[in-house]
Amino acid sequence: MTELLVRMIRKPQGAIGIMLLAVLAAICILGPWVAPYGPEKMDFLGRFRAPGWQNWLGADQFGRDVLSRLLTGARATVPMALAATLAGSAMGAVLGVASAYLGGKADEFIMRTNDAVMAIPGLLMALLLVSTLGNGAGNAVVAIAIAFAPGMARVTRSVALGVRNQDFVKAAVARGEGAAQIVFREMLPNVMGPIVIEATIRVSFAVMLFATLSFLGLGAQPPASEWGLMVADARQYMHRAPWILIAPSAAIALSAIAFNLVGDALRDALNPRDDR
Amino acid sequence: MPSVTRRHFLASSALALGALPHVSLAAEAPKRGGVLRISVDQGAAVIHPLLARVNPEYLVTELLYSNLTRLKPDMAVEPDLALSWEAGAGLTEWIFKLRPNVSFHDGSPLTAEDVVATFKAILDPKTASPARTNVGPIKEVVAVDASTVKFTLSVAFADFPVALAYTNARIVPAKVIASDLGSLATKANGSGPFKLVSYEPDRKIVVERNPAYYDPARPALDRVEILVYPDRTAEASALISGDIDLMLSTTPGEYERLGKAGGVKALRIPSGQFLNVNMGCDQKPFNDVRVRQALALTIDREAMAGFVAGGYGTPGNDTPLSPAYRFYKDGKLKKPDIAKAKQLLAEAGYPSGIDLTMVASDKPDTRTQLGVAIREMAAPAGFRINVQTMPHATYLDQVWKKGNFYVGFYNMQPTADAIFKLLYTSDAAWNETRWNNPRFDEVVNAARSETDDANRAALYARAQAMMIDEVPSVIPVFFDILAAQRAYVEGYTLHPRGSVFRLDLVSLGAGAPKRA
Amino acid sequence: MSFAWLLRRLLLMVYTVVIVSVLVFAITQALPADAAQTLLGENASPEALAAVRARLGLDDPVWLQFVHWVARAASGNFGVSMRTGLPVAPEMLTALSRSLLLAAGSLLVTLAIAVPLGMFAALRQGRVADTVTSVIAYLGVSLPEFVTATVLALLLTDMLPWLPATGYVSPLENAGLALRHLTLPVLTISVILVAHVMRMMRSETLDVLQSDYVRAARLKGLPERTVLVRHVMRNALLPVITIVALDVGYLLGGIIVIEEIFAIPGIGRALMIAITTRDLPSIQAGAMIMAVTYAITNTLADVVYALLDRRIRYD
Repeated sequence: MTELLVRMIRKPQGAIGIMLLAVLAAICILGPWVAPYGPEKMDFLGRFRAPGWQNWLGADQFGRDVLSRLLTGARATVPMALAATLAGSAMGAVLGVASAYLGGKADEFIMRTNDAVMAIPGLLMALLLVSTLGNGAGNAVVAIAIAFAPGMARVTRSVALGVRNQDFVKAAVARGEGAAQIVFREMLPNVMGPIVIEATIRVSFAVMLFATLSFLGLGAQPPASEWGLMVADARQYMHRAPWILIAPSAAIALSAIAFNLVGDALRDALNPRDDR
Repeated sequence: MPSVTRRHFLASSALALGALPHVSLAAEAPKRGGVLRISVDQGAAVIHPLLARVNPEYLVTELLYSNLTRLKPDMAVEPDLALSWEAGAGLTEWIFKLRPNVSFHDGSPLTAEDVVATFKAILDPKTASPARTNVGPIKEVVAVDASTVKFTLSVAFADFPVALAYTNARIVPAKVIASDLGSLATKANGSGPFKLVSYEPDRKIVVERNPAYYDPARPALDRVEILVYPDRTAEASALISGDIDLMLSTTPGEYERLGKAGGVKALRIPSGQFLNVNMGCDQKPFNDVRVRQALALTIDREAMAGFVAGGYGTPGNDTPLSPAYRFYKDGKLKKPDIAKAKQLLAEAGYPSGIDLTMVASDKPDTRTQLGVAIREMAAPAGFRINVQTMPHATYLDQVWKKGNFYVGFYNMQPTADAIFKLLYTSDAAWNETRWNNPRFDEVVNAARSETDDANRAALYARAQAMMIDEVPSVIPVFFDILAAQRAYVEGYTLHPRGSVFRLDLVSLGAGAPKRA
Repeated sequence: MSFAWLLRRLLLMVYTVVIVSVLVFAITQALPADAAQTLLGENASPEALAAVRARLGLDDPVWLQFVHWVARAASGNFGVSMRTGLPVAPEMLTALSRSLLLAAGSLLVTLAIAVPLGMFAALRQGRVADTVTSVIAYLGVSLPEFVTATVLALLLTDMLPWLPATGYVSPLENAGLALRHLTLPVLTISVILVAHVMRMMRSETLDVLQSDYVRAARLKGLPERTVLVRHVMRNALLPVITIVALDVGYLLGGIIVIEEIFAIPGIGRALMIAITTRDLPSIQAGAMIMAVTYAITNTLADVVYALLDRRIRYD
């Protein structure tokens, strides 16, 4: 583990990524305590106050402190994306490994259906699902997870096919172990590496997708300080007070970059031969 | 007020024949021809004249159809298809004479039969027209002859001609009603100043001059293109760059930007659109009038107009009538008096203050602004208010008409009667405050059947005084209607009601771009 | 490319469409909305609601509704919009044509920028130019469309006040105006796609540069320009085609946000309006048309790839 970390931070991309991620984690944990104001504390004399000593990142249309909202909003944004990715990856991984294990006609059927589902663009799928489940942060997480599953299933299955033909799996089959046993105990642990890499990169998509759903009014609901929602609210004041718009936009971008960098570094560290 | 006698209800034919007051009074005849581009902030998904619901849709149906009467910018009524009208004794029988030689866009003549069929369709619950509850208490409508219609009302109603100007009471052909009323959702056949050319709900709607319009002097424009701009900022930018000539409405922020732009004229008119704080008068603590009076005394109404309406508003005095209404009674504006408020609250049994939760939905965002401002203003008097924002759909479902303490938002109505009967009488359509004051009901009903304007004014003054005193809801601010046009657009008047547009009076002056 | 392979590929496409139609119908069935109520609004009377339910067949069992729907959809009839009363299919196809124009424009701009830039970065591997381009690429893939779009609009408003036009003008009506309306959306989509395609182009170019035939071409003494254009670019472009085809899927999704922000009445915005107003026929038609478009592009990309690359064997 330590060795992996060392290998990851050897390149500047990896080092920057891990640093950004550490900062993000700190904000998620400590955000509400270090925020100078309450995220919903309104100040009707301080509407659209420009960044300065009172509000470091300025104040919004209700005189709420943008920095405080940003710090508190990290919790409403990043953990949601992580949860969605985790759930989606788990669903996809089980489906992929099961398909590889079953093989033959069943595998063909599962994967073709999987491909067909992938023909619905991710955002469209998430939109349709959220409108069925109802607006809200929790439902947006479920929708993103489901939209992610087919892609993860495909990746997992290709790795799992290799594992399926290895001796220890054949041995387990010969021992007469049950299908669930083989899928969960023998195969899944051995495809974890690639799944983790893929999932890490996907967190950045999840961050963006979640923010997009909130932006479209289908994810987090006001007065939450979810970052995508903050951008949506700020849009109509962008000529008057651009800082309300810039701060959450930058926060979303930096989080996405952090997960992208770490994902790439992880891949490089695990596959040293591909050195570019 | 032009007339205080029964003659007010009998529009003389002289007035009717001069039914183009704006045009005939103009020094020079407006220049004919040209294409006007007007922008709206949301699509016009419904162009069925009996079913339209929002301003862009009212704009389209106003261009294509005619009502019997029209609402003037001073909220008085003027003839449209009706040439003149007369009320029988008791104000329950109304005879309308129709303008002769009016035809629909397909060339067929418009007669009393069409009017009767239209109102029967409006009153039919199956049509689901919003006009059903807004055109007055019609019991029966019959054609006396080809150009005379008789309405019989169930109760006396002095404002009946005004009610006929309602945005959904547009006259449609009887034969369309008989065959397929639904077809009007996509095809138009009206008697309005323009004819429908193309209809793409979320992008562009085009109409062209109706050469057979009953007034040959109107309209001046050859074509009108209605363009949909869902983004307010982009819409303002389009007017500044000259892509559009006129915008239906805008926000205070954009209004300021538009005012500074060259070649642009920013438009503004005080209206009766308001935000209010509704209190459940039948439940603790608001069943005690002193609590309501105390809250009203904490509010700095001038400051509120600045904060919530961005300076583009009129302070309110806890009645829904703004100076834009006909029977508005000018009164002394309530001034904040924290000591008095504290005392009232103590007398009501809350000497150490009171904790309350006020709900404000997120649409429009001024609701939350009002909530926050009231929280700050009322705090010194001992009101500890927690402002709870929620999505508009949730609010409509769970709080509206049910809650005890929340922020409401209403458009200007054509008459005092309409707004009182909508919100504040015991039989109001949306009796949110459950004020249920029988004396107030009595006064409003008396004004309904009163023909003398002076007497009506006195009755409505009493109604307003009761609201100012008993405060069923706090109404601190009225919003102005804001819009903008290019300087070369002539003849456009912003209407306080917000849903009357009169593009048949608009023309393009010097400097207008040539468009094919 | 054998006939059997082609047939198999087409069958797959048909299967995709079938699965998608089941999914779309299932989702729209589950939508928490009474179609009749949505159609008539709040003022509707119970009799009117019952009449509409009967007319729309909403009282039939679900499977029967599905059969009716598929039968009509197969002949291009998706019913009429509950919001406007207009037939859905022609509306959606007009909208699609605008989206495709936007997508095609974006792809062209993307390729024109990303291909040379990717090659350039590969040739300068490890140097400053390479680092700069890869940082830009990272930024591009890490910004959601709505952020890119809003920030671009904000930045360009002051510099080019005439530019941030929203809405749509057909190039057939007024070419100049159409271009102005398309500039910002195309730019936004391109920022994201360039990042993606450039990364791919760079790594493919690196592969090809190390291949034997490029070394051979250089040894033959061919001019560097010829080597780069004839050998390196042509070979590196092949896998990029696949990526671009996959990007069409992204494009169709991302276009929902872009069209919403720039008020382009394309398929994405039409679908967004349909979803927020619970206009079931429009949702069904919009989702189907998007998924089918994607399935067709994917198949086409596979076929083109097979035609271009004889080295790949298909069975």
